[in-house]
Amino acid sequence: MPAPKSDLPQGTLDLLVLKVVALGPLHGYGIAHRLQQLSKDVVQVQQGTLYPALHRLENRGLLASEWKMSDTGREAKFYRLTRKGRQAMDSEEASWRRLSDAVGLILAAPEGEVP
Amino acid sequence: MTWWHRLFNRDRLDSELDRELSDHIERQVADFVRGGMTESDARRRARLAFGGDVQITEACRDARGTRWVEDIVQDIRYSIRILLRSPAFALVAILSLALGIGANTAIFSIVNSLLLRSLPVRAPEQLVIVEGGSWTNPIWEQIRDHHAGLFGGAAAWGEDRFDLASGGVSDSVDGLWTSGNFFDVLGTPAILGRTFGPDDDRRGGGPAGPVAVICYKFWQRHYGGAADVIGRPLTINRVTFTVIGVTGPEFVGPIVGRSYDVAVPLGDEPLVRGKESFLDGRSTWWLDILLRMKPGQTIDQATLALRGAQPQIRQATLPGWDAQALKEYLGTPFVLQPAAGGSSQFRNQYREPLLIILAIVGLVLLIACANIANIMLARANARRHELGLRIALGASRWRIARQLLTESLLLSVLGAALGLVFAAWGSALLVAQLSTFRENVFLDISLDWRVMAFTAGVSIATALLFGMVPAFRAGRVEPNDALKEQSRTVSGERRMIGQPLVVVQVALSLVLVVAAGLFLRSFAALAMQNVGFDRDALLVVNLDVLKSGVEPADRPRLLEQVLAATAQVPGVARAGLSAIPPMSGMGWNNFVEVPGGAKVSQRDSVVWFNAVTPGWFATYGTTLVNGRDFTATDRKGAPAVVIVNQAFVTKFLPGANPLGRTLRQPSYGFGGNDQPVPTWQIVGVVANAAYRTPREPDPPTLYLPFDQSEMREAPFATLTVRSALDNPALLTKSVAAAIGTVNPRLALTFLPMTEQISGLVVRERLVAMLAGFFGGLALLLAAIGLYGITSYGVSRRRTEIGIRMALGADAAAVVRLVLSRAALLVGLGVVIGAALSLWASTFVASLLYGLTPRDPITLVGAAATLAAVGAFAAWLPARRAARIDPIEVLREG
Repeated sequence: MPAPKSDLPQGTLDLLVLKVVALGPLHGYGIAHRLQQLSKDVVQVQQGTLYPALHRLENRGLLASEWKMSDTGREAKFYRLTRKGRQAMDSEEASWRRLSDAVGLILAAPEGEVP
Repeated sequence: MTWWHRLFNRDRLDSELDRELSDHIERQVADFVRGGMTESDARRRARLAFGGDVQITEACRDARGTRWVEDIVQDIRYSIRILLRSPAFALVAILSLALGIGANTAIFSIVNSLLLRSLPVRAPEQLVIVEGGSWTNPIWEQIRDHHAGLFGGAAAWGEDRFDLASGGVSDSVDGLWTSGNFFDVLGTPAILGRTFGPDDDRRGGGPAGPVAVICYKFWQRHYGGAADVIGRPLTINRVTFTVIGVTGPEFVGPIVGRSYDVAVPLGDEPLVRGKESFLDGRSTWWLDILLRMKPGQTIDQATLALRGAQPQIRQATLPGWDAQALKEYLGTPFVLQPAAGGSSQFRNQYREPLLIILAIVGLVLLIACANIANIMLARANARRHELGLRIALGASRWRIARQLLTESLLLSVLGAALGLVFAAWGSALLVAQLSTFRENVFLDISLDWRVMAFTAGVSIATALLFGMVPAFRAGRVEPNDALKEQSRTVSGERRMIGQPLVVVQVALSLVLVVAAGLFLRSFAALAMQNVGFDRDALLVVNLDVLKSGVEPADRPRLLEQVLAATAQVPGVARAGLSAIPPMSGMGWNNFVEVPGGAKVSQRDSVVWFNAVTPGWFATYGTTLVNGRDFTATDRKGAPAVVIVNQAFVTKFLPGANPLGRTLRQPSYGFGGNDQPVPTWQIVGVVANAAYRTPREPDPPTLYLPFDQSEMREAPFATLTVRSALDNPALLTKSVAAAIGTVNPRLALTFLPMTEQISGLVVRERLVAMLAGFFGGLALLLAAIGLYGITSYGVSRRRTEIGIRMALGADAAAVVRLVLSRAALLVGLGVVIGAALSLWASTFVASLLYGLTPRDPITLVGAAATLAAVGAFAAWLPARRAARIDPIEVLREG
């Protein structure tokens, strides 16, 4: 019985993709695979959203791509993080942390008390 | 990769996307196989896990941000296919749009060049002109020498025709007398050589002698663009000048509508005119004065500055007039006018007609739009099935509407492109029509941003006009209805939106036909106006006596010899000399007093003058109604006599016997007050004749004997020849040769009288021609519109008509049925159009001659024309309806 899977909150897919690619150049299948591994199969990323997201990030200049020979003996499209992408990732990450801390604080507040 | 790269490398991106996505699937398959699945199971699972690859592909394409452009391209390609499928419709639509847009562009490019464009000089907005027509050279010299510092600069010029021939028939070019700093103040440098400096403008010529600057076009035309033109001699009015510079191709002179050929300094004028120089003429008004304001100076400040200097300027340049005229001279304030667009008489003359024609072509385009809108509507109806299918397949209504609008835009853009070709050709043709014997009209009608913006705006507006309603209606197609709908209906026309359009068309065309009628009738009235003489056989020869080199005192003898020599030429029936050529636009007028005559105010006592030789009236065919013609004995020293016309008698001596009465030229005349007052005795009365223009067929006129008037020593005179041949122009060579034997240096300009008169009605002819052409076009378009809508109605009501006929209706009843509807549309259109015409025609009142703007004959005639054309246009489909075979129709169902 697989663990229950969550949908990604709006806008977080971009950050996760950037984060994964930051570890090193990777092709689309690799990114999907890694996302699943990293999130221990909790996060289910639909291909239907992953590829458009990759292309959007590439067109915005946050990712760059290159066709390179891969382990399968065929050429594959490898994505890597650009400098602009790294900056975007850092600022996204910081704002995500602030948000998640705030949400955590609220969730941690004892019930029944009105501040 | 930038947006542009993504747009233009679409195919490569698509194939890469395919490879990328299949790579993903291959890897997934490999993973599954590694996990122990069979190849085919793995492939199926991988596909399932991947999801809809078409959607993913589309989503990735959307991410490129180029989708909207691709959609537009797709719309255009689809539109082209649709248009190619019905080439006849496309051709008709594009051609009628091309005519409409072309006509609008052509007229607008003339409006632009005449009314909107700035002179191609440095900072044209700083230029102002001293208003009030022309000024004397003493006034200009005052401003130049004492007051130019009040402004950024001051320059003057006078227009003239220069004769490049060394004798005989003139080789006239458009000349400018300019002040020395003229080109510097305007800021138009020479592209070859130099322009004038103040030294060149010294009286009698500067250190470089008589010099000339020529315009680019003249350089090309006369010298073939020779690089060594600088320093070459150029004979102007028999004096040799040296060419020192060529101005750039964009500068054609300070006057809009004219282009200069040769400019020479004012200081060289005495070399040409000798003792008759204008330079010290205090009442010779021939110069335009242009000021360049200092940076930051406003026109009000400049006017104030000039008015501050006015008392000095006026006081130092008093003409030799009587006290009252001088008081007026001193008191009239100088007025400045913006001159960024240069100066132009021509502009004032043509502003109104041009704007009227622009309105006319605008209406023609509207009528054409209505036609195309009608066809588009009919086609959209026929395409309901296709559109319904597209909507059912998921196309949005907006997308469908956009598709139809794209088709409209494509039509109008193609029309505009072709229209630009028509416009370039049409406007050049129009400008060529404007030139007359007196002036060569030059307008720069090249395309500039204004014309381009106008054409683009017009074509987009057109597309919206005829494409909006069909697009809107197509967007509302209900796919269910459209798909279920049978191809035929028994009910009458549903939502026939085309009908109001036809009413509008008929109404607008009536307005245009009325306009055409008014202008054509005005022109006809003017062209056939009785001018008081027989114009067909007359050849007018203008003599430039100055260039003969003969001293004024000897000129009467020279002219006598010229007249005698001309009379000997075979084919010359009669010949006579006059001071002023009639119908040339030139004039000589003065005050006159009739002791014991009718009381006439001073203002009204100005009459036209001319000086003529014995036999001049016979030459013109003007009847002598009373008394005698001049004779050879009416010379200097003999009693001063005069002949007047009937209008003169009616005005000054009503009911009296004019013969023997005395006329005087009162002391308040222009002649100055130190001369004795001239008095003349009336010896004859002639029939009325037009003097300056056919618009005034009977002005009071006074004729002096040529040999008694001071005009016999004037630097110009006019010889008129009555030809015994059909075409008076055939006499040109022989008359020129005869005069050449008398004096080879005399300059001659020949012109048949008919041409001279048609030169005076160029504006009316042009307006009548254009209004007539576009009125006809409007009529044609409206007829096509009515024909189209009626045929369409008949084809839609085929079944109904068939049933009616099967039930016993005969052919006449069917024709009546169809015609009655068309008659309703035409009738409604005519009523609306008549009301519109009554309102609109008051705007053209000033351009009409011999009829009122609400001329009932024109209005009724136009309405009848429209009714007749409408009846014919509707009768063709009605006849077709009557031939419908009911059996066949019923079998179809």
